[in-house]
Amino acid sequence: MAQAQVPVTVLTGYLGAGKTTLLNRILSEQHGKKYAVIVNEFGELGIDNDLVVNADEEVFEMNNGCICCTVRGDLIRIIEGLMKRKDKFDGILVETTGLADPGPVAQTFFTDDDVKARTKLDAIVTVVDAKHFLGQLEQGSEAEEQVAFADVILLNKTDLVSPDELAKVEGKISAINPYARIHKTQKSQIDLAAILDKGAFDLKRILEFEPDFLTHGHDHNHEEEVKSLSITSDKPVDPDKFQKWMGALLQLRGGDIFRSKGILAIDGAPKRYVYQGVHMMMDSDWGSPWKEGEKRSSKLVFIGRNLDGDNLKRGFEDCLKQ
Amino acid sequence: MKIDLANPAWRQTLPPARTISADAPVAACAFSRDGTTVAFALGDGSVRRLPADIAAAPADAVPPIHGGAVLALVADPAGDGFVSGGDDGRLLRIAADGTATELFSQKGKWIDHLAAHRATGAVAASVGKAAVVVTKGGEVREFGPHQSTVADLDFSKDGSRIGCAHYGGVTVWSIGQITQGQTAPPPRRFAWRGSHVALRWSTDGKFIATGTQENDIHVWRMAQATDMRMQGYPAKVKSLSWTADARFLYTSSQPVFTAWPFSGKGPEGKPPLQFGEEGAGLLSVVAAHPAAEFVAGGYDSGELQLGDIKAKRSVVLKMADGSAITCLAWSPDGFRLAVGNERGDLLVVDLRR
Repeated sequence: MAQAQVPVTVLTGYLGAGKTTLLNRILSEQHGKKYAVIVNEFGELGIDNDLVVNADEEVFEMNNGCICCTVRGDLIRIIEGLMKRKDKFDGILVETTGLADPGPVAQTFFTDDDVKARTKLDAIVTVVDAKHFLGQLEQGSEAEEQVAFADVILLNKTDLVSPDELAKVEGKISAINPYARIHKTQKSQIDLAAILDKGAFDLKRILEFEPDFLTHGHDHNHEEEVKSLSITSDKPVDPDKFQKWMGALLQLRGGDIFRSKGILAIDGAPKRYVYQGVHMMMDSDWGSPWKEGEKRSSKLVFIGRNLDGDNLKRGFEDCLKQ
Repeated sequence: MKIDLANPAWRQTLPPARTISADAPVAACAFSRDGTTVAFALGDGSVRRLPADIAAAPADAVPPIHGGAVLALVADPAGDGFVSGGDDGRLLRIAADGTATELFSQKGKWIDHLAAHRATGAVAASVGKAAVVVTKGGEVREFGPHQSTVADLDFSKDGSRIGCAHYGGVTVWSIGQITQGQTAPPPRRFAWRGSHVALRWSTDGKFIATGTQENDIHVWRMAQATDMRMQGYPAKVKSLSWTADARFLYTSSQPVFTAWPFSGKGPEGKPPLQFGEEGAGLLSVVAAHPAAEFVAGGYDSGELQLGDIKAKRSVVLKMADGSAITCLAWSPDGFRLAVGNERGDLLVVDLRR
């Protein structure tokens, strides 16, 4: 009797952006669902609840020689512990400290077999402080990286800025990560359905993101250090060459590639090949079949730091059947 | 005990085992020191105590004694009851009559690993990044904090030290005389990169073995502080069990019983001894018999096997049922085996004819 996998939402955002307000609402509002909340050691939740678990944010490097292969050992233990409870959860939320890189949290769900068997990473939700975001970008890389990792962004405290300022912040977010869904909020007021159970890491649902893949032929600003880029092609992909290229790319550049996903038209295959990655960790599977007469095209998306678009494009083109 | 694993008819002579359904995941099980009682730590916060012969035991649920789940349970080394730890941060002593008293508590931490030392009557518990030792007399002494959360701990053979597993290796503390206000002597550190998730001190006190997050096991020789690493597991090794004579270390996470030989020159450069029927899935828990050459193994598929290292055979005591076995415990006399699983089935197998 395999248990259903519990969806896990990772909640990031700079200090003061509104994560705690959001968590308090999730824990106190009547929504008929039961969420376990794993808060960071500096978390100041006003609610004393046995569904709240304190985490120590213990990151360790996997012994495999890759510096970006870091996971959260405390999360592995906490999830194993939560699964020993009789009461099951509709979801688990993991809050990271304002200055933490969400990478290790996400990678934990790609790495540990027990965690993978019982839970599934659902989405990375980033709360952005509309008033202070632009200033935070100047102070370090954290605010930028949190946006880069996001599947869903709560652009919060919109009441504290003018429409012009808001547009500027939104533009900046889109320049970093045009694929995340943005919800504008005040006091973290949001319908939970908009942030929970999104299936952003579900390989079967990558296709639902397809319209975004296509419409954002994004002209990114070259002074952006963190940016996204997409590559498309109508030529069939040689699977061996692709594996080799992607493997080497993630091994060498995984630290700079925050998120990657793609749909591939593999030469001779009746189905789409879909993949999804965080840093150098990756999951892949066969997706839905190509329809009769459907145009078979491949799309790849990278979000990361110091991405060399021309180089990536050439690398991918070398994987195509001529 | 005469159990002949070569003769399949042997199994037919086993008395039928009764399963009680507790409807909450079982985190741990143990027999009391006197062997009269068996207890199961449950995910509903209760500890189900039953007569060791559970055939006639009442199947009623009992009220929770921990808030949240009970995460760890050992036989009380200082009495005929049990000691339990929970995700409510409380360490409880459960007397033979069932009354629970608090030995220690720390709000916001989980007490998820326990060790007991029979001769000294002391109990060790993991409390976040620290370990606490509670003496027979109820004095509490804290060790740590370690660089990360204590993932498992165990007493040395003579009970004078505890070994704590954490990121980057193992820390060994001398418990010494426990006097109020006394500072602990500096610990010994045994370093190896990575996350160590299970720890067992060998029954002869000479080795500490850990299972790591990275699918291998690590063993330190206490006397020389030299170490060895055994690789080739398809999953992280969460369960380790030394034989009573310390000649073998059993490890989980293989489809067959896997024992590393520690007699003579040790296991370096040798393959492990592997024997028995290939089970469904991987071993999730292993428990060496307290005296004889037997070993019990529970699988993540729910299969249960009994192995005999001398005959290099095993028999299936329970078929796979999809609910991973989470804990095993032998009675002190070695005749009974307690088994718990994720679904909440409580089972005691009686191996006497």
